[in-house]
Amino acid sequence: MATRLEARTSVITSRISGPLQLVIEAVGEIRSRHRLIRYLVGADLRRTATNTALGKVWWVLDPLMYMAVFTVLVTVIFGRATPDYPIFIFAGIVPWKWFATAVEDALGSVAGRNKLIKQVQFPKVVLPSAAVLAATYNFAFGLLAMALLLIVAYPHRVSVYLALIPVVATVQLVLTFAVCLVGAALNVFFRDLRLVSGHALRLWFYLSPVLWSFEEHFQNAPPTLVSAASFNPFYTIMSGYRDLVYYGRPPDFVALAVILGASLLAAVLGLLFFKWLEPAFAKVL
Amino acid sequence: MTGIADGPDDWVIDVQDLGVQYDLRLTRKTTLRGSFARLLHHGQGDRTFWALRDVAFRLVRGESLAVIGPNGAGKSTLLLALAGIIRPSQGRVTVRGDVSALLTLGPGFDDELSGRDNILLAGAFMGLDHGEMKDRIDEIIAFADIGQFIDAPIKTYSAGMKTRLGFSIATAVDPDILLLDEVLASGDEAFRVKSKARILEIVRAAKAVVLVTHDMNWVREFCNRAILLEGGHVVAEGEPIEIVGIHQAHSERVSVQKQPEASRLPAVT
Repeated sequence: MATRLEARTSVITSRISGPLQLVIEAVGEIRSRHRLIRYLVGADLRRTATNTALGKVWWVLDPLMYMAVFTVLVTVIFGRATPDYPIFIFAGIVPWKWFATAVEDALGSVAGRNKLIKQVQFPKVVLPSAAVLAATYNFAFGLLAMALLLIVAYPHRVSVYLALIPVVATVQLVLTFAVCLVGAALNVFFRDLRLVSGHALRLWFYLSPVLWSFEEHFQNAPPTLVSAASFNPFYTIMSGYRDLVYYGRPPDFVALAVILGASLLAAVLGLLFFKWLEPAFAKVL
Repeated sequence: MTGIADGPDDWVIDVQDLGVQYDLRLTRKTTLRGSFARLLHHGQGDRTFWALRDVAFRLVRGESLAVIGPNGAGKSTLLLALAGIIRPSQGRVTVRGDVSALLTLGPGFDDELSGRDNILLAGAFMGLDHGEMKDRIDEIIAFADIGQFIDAPIKTYSAGMKTRLGFSIATAVDPDILLLDEVLASGDEAFRVKSKARILEIVRAAKAVVLVTHDMNWVREFCNRAILLEGGHVVAEGEPIEIVGIHQAHSERVSVQKQPEASRLPAVT
């Protein structure tokens, strides 16, 4: 007989737990349903791998082609000469793709499972969590592509600071998780969000120093503009990656710590927001 | 109107003062639900409506409860509340034991994944233990009887194959408490016979069953208690034969009254 993992006696009431309790509950759900999350991630990865002729090769090939397109755009069409530009943008594009993929997948993660949500009781927080994790796997393959490019084409850029990539990635992961939780919950009520998100992400992409940096391209930018840009958490994150990969120097640890703190707070609020709206999902979908 | 049934101490489901309220501002696809809301509560404004109100009953071990009533009476909402899928807006539901809900067939399959992957995924969603799901997978595949397609993506399945696989997954659990919602007629004739036998097997093995159906033969045949829901309220409770009689009398009366009332309904967004 198949047995269930849940407690034997369950009391369901209209009572809504306190904020702290909701957050603890959400963390507990993610931990106790880690197998479900792993299955969802596996399903997501298999989907892309089985539908294409090249399968898993795409995970490495995709970021390389992305990089090639932007290199052509910026160096040939805009005629900007930045030394080793492919690796300059690669350091930004791979993490950005991670963020964009996670957000887009997470937005549809709850609304897309509408049938299941009305049929089975399970903690919905696993859905955006799985979306973030699946994108993280893809990010790892992007890093692999970047490592290949570094070793083959730009061996002089290889430095010990590459070992700090996980530090910057952790900051980004927390921020991504926060954005995804809020987005996934809101998209249940306003499907318009998914239509807007593509444009919003593209705008955010161009506003963040992914293809450009003040240091390389806009040295005469007014200081007020630079400080305004640094309010964008991706300003710090992208600069961090670029310091490690392109310049081979330590990142701005203080700024990263500030972003990490803010992101952790945002993630807690995101969990709270998600758990707060969760009871309405089955009614609205 | 019924109060709390003061049954013996070995109850498995206890429902007290249960109310489920829908907020229509949030549901845009509410033409159907919204029209019932207006039909049932025209006095109370259009923004919210109670799909269930003041529902109370207690189910004892060994009982098989039929929930009957007209469309939109809140029968399915009641099952969703019992399954924990919908949180009550009022009151409480207490359930002792493992609940398995067969609410609709062909659940949230992932079209791109194979049948086998979908079985494992569904098991994980239902919170089933991984090892035992693996043990059961051959049984599930055998019952669904879809041959080599089990390793092909679900998108290549026929509607009948999806239904069979859905049924097979959903009934792979041996629950203490079984919630059933009109899943009885599905698939081709051969599978219908097979699935009816399977449901009977589970009904007999389960400690308690709650069945929502329009098939009065099922109610009379397999249930030893029934409640009649109308407009979100329990209007009668008791012996199945008696309740079925009341329901049939009511539906005849309503079908006579409904025509003029329906034409008065305002258009729903």
